[in-house]
Amino acid sequence: MNPAPAIRVRNLSKTFQVPVKAPGMRGAFRALFKKENRIVPAVQDISFDIAPGELVGFLGPNGAGKTTTLKVLSGLLYPTSGEVEILGFAPWKREKDFQMNFSMVMGQRTQLWWDLPARETFVLNQKIFEISDKDFRERRARITELLDIGDLLEVPVKKLSLGERMKAELACAILHYPKILLLDEPTLGLDLVMQKKLRNFIRDYNRETGSTILLTSHNMADVEELCKRVIIIDGGRILYDGDLSKIVERYAPDKLVTLTSSVPLDIAGLKALGKVISHNGSSAELEIPRKDVSRVMGLLLAQVPVVDLSIEELPIEEIIRRVFLENG
Amino acid sequence: MGKYWAAFSLSIQQELYYRASFLMERARSITVIIAFYAFWSAVFQGRDTLLGYTRSQMFTYILGMNVLRALVFSDKTWELMHEINTGKISSYLMRPISYVGFCLSRDAADKATQLVSSILEVALAAWLLKIPLYWPAHPATFAVFGLTLALAIVLYFLMSYIVATFAFWTSESAGPRFCFELFLEFSSGAFFPLDVLPRIFQSVFSFLPFASLLYFPLNVFLERITGPLLARGLGVQVFWAVLFVWAARRLWERGLKAYSADGG
Repeated sequence: MNPAPAIRVRNLSKTFQVPVKAPGMRGAFRALFKKENRIVPAVQDISFDIAPGELVGFLGPNGAGKTTTLKVLSGLLYPTSGEVEILGFAPWKREKDFQMNFSMVMGQRTQLWWDLPARETFVLNQKIFEISDKDFRERRARITELLDIGDLLEVPVKKLSLGERMKAELACAILHYPKILLLDEPTLGLDLVMQKKLRNFIRDYNRETGSTILLTSHNMADVEELCKRVIIIDGGRILYDGDLSKIVERYAPDKLVTLTSSVPLDIAGLKALGKVISHNGSSAELEIPRKDVSRVMGLLLAQVPVVDLSIEELPIEEIIRRVFLENG
Repeated sequence: MGKYWAAFSLSIQQELYYRASFLMERARSITVIIAFYAFWSAVFQGRDTLLGYTRSQMFTYILGMNVLRALVFSDKTWELMHEINTGKISSYLMRPISYVGFCLSRDAADKATQLVSSILEVALAAWLLKIPLYWPAHPATFAVFGLTLALAIVLYFLMSYIVATFAFWTSESAGPRFCFELFLEFSSGAFFPLDVLPRIFQSVFSFLPFASLLYFPLNVFLERITGPLLARGLGVQVFWAVLFVWAARRLWERGLKAYSADGG
C-alpha cells in the first residue's frame, strides 16, 4: 500500500474572467460604461498525486497553466472546481498548520525586505515560523554554507545581483524546513555556475529533509538533473505524467548520430541509412531508430572513412517540443 | 507576538534607512510650525481671545496638532496598496502571519518614529520661541484625552485601511487615496481649528468621523469640550469605529476573494 500522497489534485479547474475591450477609442469609451468579460480557462480538469519526498518537474510553455496551478496549491487562488489536498489540508483555507509546513519561491517575486540586509528578513521568518534560536542558528549556518552566501546576508537586498538575491530568497524560504516546497523558475536569469550550485542545493535539501518538491523550469538542465518524474502541461491540460526516462523512449525513438568524415560525404548514401537532419561537406547529423543503431553503425564504418562519431539522445528540449506537437 | 514585534523592528530599521526622506519630512513639519506660529501671532495682535480660544489655547492647538498628526496620520497604507498592486502581498498570505497584524506593526513603527521626532520639534519650538502653552486644569482631562486620542488612532487606521482595499479592484487607487488625504487634512482640523468655518459646516462636521481625528481630541485637551458635548463626541467616535470595523472586514474579505479569483 502506498503512503498517502503529500499533494493530491483531483479534477482541478480554474477559470479567470478577463475584461475584453473593443479596439480603438470607441472601445475604450464603451468600456467606461459597460465592461464585458470573457471566461478564460487557465487549468482544465487536471489530476495528479505527488508522494512524500518526491521531486517532480512541472513543465509547459508560457501560459500553459503552471503558475495558476502553483497558486492554487499555495492557497492564493480558489479553485473554480475540483479538489486539492496538501498534507491533508485545503490550501485556500490558509490554516496555520498547513502554512507552517509550506513554502513557495517565485523567481520574479521577493519576500526579502528590499532595503534591509537579507539577515533581517531571516529573523522575521524565524519568528513567523516559530523556529527556536538553536535550530535557527544551525540551519542558517548550514544553508549559508551550502549556498555560499555568508557575506551576502549583510548587504541590503537591493544591492545584490539577481543570482545572489535568488540564493538568499531560497535560503529565506526554507529556514523552516517546509515539507512542501514549490519552486517557480528557480534558476531564471542565473549564470551556469550559479545554476549548478542551486541545483545541487535543491537536490541535497530534498534528500536530507525528505521534503516534497514541485519545480517549474524552462531550463531543461534543471529538469534532467533533478527530476525523475515530470508532469507536462499545455493549454491547461496534462499531456504527460510519468518518468522522464520513459518520455525519452516514447517520444524519441531515434538517437542522434553526428559524424565527420575525411572526405566529402555522399548524402544520397546516408539517406538510405537514416534521416539526415543537417549536413555540411564532410560532416552530418542523422537520426537513427534506437533499435537500428548498432546495425547502421557497422554499415557506416564500413562505407565511410570516419574521423569522428558520436551517438547521443535527442536534446530534452526537442523531446518536449515533440510532446507538445503531438498533443497540441 | 514575536513575529509582530519582529515586523515592528524591521519597519523601524527601514524607516531609519531612508534618512534623507525622514529628514525632509521633519523639515516640512518644522516649516509648518513656524508658518502657523507666525500667522496666528499676527492674528492675535492686540487681542486676548479669538473664536473662543485664548492665546495659549490657540498655540497649544497648533503645536498639539503637529504631535497628533504624527501620531494619528502616520501609516504605511501606501505600501499596502503597492503590495496589493504588485502581488507582493502573496508572500505574506502564504506565511502563517495575520496580514492585518503585520500592517498594524508596520503602522506602529511609523507612528513611533514620527512621534519621537515631532515631540522633539515641538519642544524645541516652544522653548526657542517662548510659546505660551495651555495645560489642562483637571488631571482627569489627561485620561479622557488619552481615550479620545486612542479612538482617533483606531479610526484613522480603519479609514486608511478601507481606502487602501480599493487597490484590490483597481490599479488606480492612488487617486482616491490622494483625495482622501487632502480632504482629511482639511476636515479634521489640521489646517486650522474648525471653529473658523460657518456654523452649518461645524454642525455637519461634528457628526462626521473626520473631526474626531484631530480637532476633537485637541479640544478635549484644551478643555473646551466638556460635559454633554464630550459625551456626544465620544459617541460619534465609537459609532464610526464600529461601523468602520464592520466595513473594513467586509471589504477586506471581498477584496481577498477578488484577489484570489483573479490571481496576483
